[in-house]
Amino acid sequence: MQILQYLINGIALGSVYALIATGFSLIFNVLKFSNFSHGALMTLSAFSGYFIAAGNGWGLVPTILVSVLTGAAVSLFGEFVAFRRILTHNTSPVYFFVSSITLGTLYEGIVVLKVGANFYNYPRFFGKPYRIAGLFVARSDIIIFCISAAALLLLAYMIRKTKTGRALRSVSFDRDTASLMGINVTRTIQFAFIVSGALAGLAGVFLGINYTLYPTMGSIVVKGFIASVIGGLGSLPGAIIGAMLLGILETTLISIIGSGYAPVFTFVIMLVFLLVRPRGIAGSNIQEKA
Amino acid sequence: MSLYSHILTQILITVVSVSGVFVLTGMTGMFSLGQAAFMAIGAYTSGILVTKLAMPIIVAWPAAVLLAVLVGLIVGLPTVRLRRDYISLVTLGFGEAITALLNRATTITGGASGLTGIPKRTTLLIAFVSAAAVVTLISFFKSSKYGRQCIAVRSDELAAKSMGINVPRVKMIAFLISVAVTAYGGCLYAFYTAYVDPTLFGWQRSAEWIIMVFFGGVNSLTGSILSTFVLSGLPEVLRFLQSYRAIIYAVLVLLVINFRPSGMLGEWELTPKHIKRLFKRPKGARAQEVD
Repeated sequence: MQILQYLINGIALGSVYALIATGFSLIFNVLKFSNFSHGALMTLSAFSGYFIAAGNGWGLVPTILVSVLTGAAVSLFGEFVAFRRILTHNTSPVYFFVSSITLGTLYEGIVVLKVGANFYNYPRFFGKPYRIAGLFVARSDIIIFCISAAALLLLAYMIRKTKTGRALRSVSFDRDTASLMGINVTRTIQFAFIVSGALAGLAGVFLGINYTLYPTMGSIVVKGFIASVIGGLGSLPGAIIGAMLLGILETTLISIIGSGYAPVFTFVIMLVFLLVRPRGIAGSNIQEKA
Repeated sequence: MSLYSHILTQILITVVSVSGVFVLTGMTGMFSLGQAAFMAIGAYTSGILVTKLAMPIIVAWPAAVLLAVLVGLIVGLPTVRLRRDYISLVTLGFGEAITALLNRATTITGGASGLTGIPKRTTLLIAFVSAAAVVTLISFFKSSKYGRQCIAVRSDELAAKSMGINVPRVKMIAFLISVAVTAYGGCLYAFYTAYVDPTLFGWQRSAEWIIMVFFGGVNSLTGSILSTFVLSGLPEVLRFLQSYRAIIYAVLVLLVINFRPSGMLGEWELTPKHIKRLFKRPKGARAQEVD
């Protein structure tokens, strides 16, 4: 019974990690770099959800909408100020790293300027947890799981079946060839950033519901990174599987050794994974291009 | 006067750490977002050895650096063979793990309230001599065989490999050197402020160092040091802008990356040869400097 309870809590946690990991992997896929501004973007959009919607007594749906829209808009803005010129001038991809780190500092700086070091809480959107056959299932967990699953399914459909998705896949495969085939590469990359930002906004709200809102909450993004490393860097299904696995492992670990040491163990798990199977679960093998 | 010497000492300690980051990021093109965690290892180990075990500094500091290098070896081992993204992801996780560890192991580290009672031993002179020594050593390293291999790996890993360079080995050497230097910076820091706590060593600090290296010039040690002085001196001069510090930093760096991607000095180094040329043909040298 206890194990089943861990499983339920783990899947709920894992679905948030999955949102983070897919948002991160999407950009990794398209531009082949790790977007370190993703965490700060989550923070920024979660806070805008608080200040624009939840703080004014609006409900859950408007809060999510505001955060998602902010995430998408800010992400698009970030693409324009930090990545566009590097892309068009074909400067070394190393600069993507520096840009994204800087962008992260910028977002976090803006949040700190507004809120200082204070903690904020979303109002309680949900009632008491359900009791099903001796197991506690929080209402928030059910909603979070359902919305995350819907968002990820929508994303999968978009990438697999639509024209934009096909463009996205071909741009990730080879930018120059895609552009020769008449695909508008810039537009496609913008699209990827919008989707990734929207996912970041969604994940930000859910993290805010599960924990509290504070300016450095973006560091939870590490979990998303670890999940995508476990799943296989750049693979979307891998990222989701990795995230679920990480969520379940983490809730189990926390109940055994306490929440304090949990980051240490998740880190060790990642190291072991890299030693044993560096390609991750999905086994995508991305070599650095010459 | 004491305010100036205080600021100068802090900047010199930062110069030590940034020189370490320069080897890793500027020369080899790897990004460590957990570099500050190695500084934490240096600071905490040396502090604990001196305060709790009453060891002399001359033993404690090398021990702290050695421990950091050993940990760096473990962190580096799985990552140097993989593409460069892994090292930044792994070190970011590592930084979080170290922060958690420092917060939890209360009996040894003092937990969230920090490690206190470290004797204040780092003077302006010691900081200056350390910074000068580290910078000199790294400039030697840069012009050595290994240094040139590092630059080759950064420019094109595949080409470097095909020229017979052992890429994982070169990456590991660069990583360990940067870890050792940063850990030494941590020792200096702990024995200057006499107090350390886990919040000082988050990823923001690592990011700040990377930004300093890039602001100064991707492959210029001179540039990195110059930008350390500029970027850490600036907030002291403009005290009224303290809360905007992170934002001003970020905007400055975004401007540099967009419009002058090679940084302030690019690849230019302050060497005896350049100084001589500076005196010989002032105008010609100017033009070259801008290059």
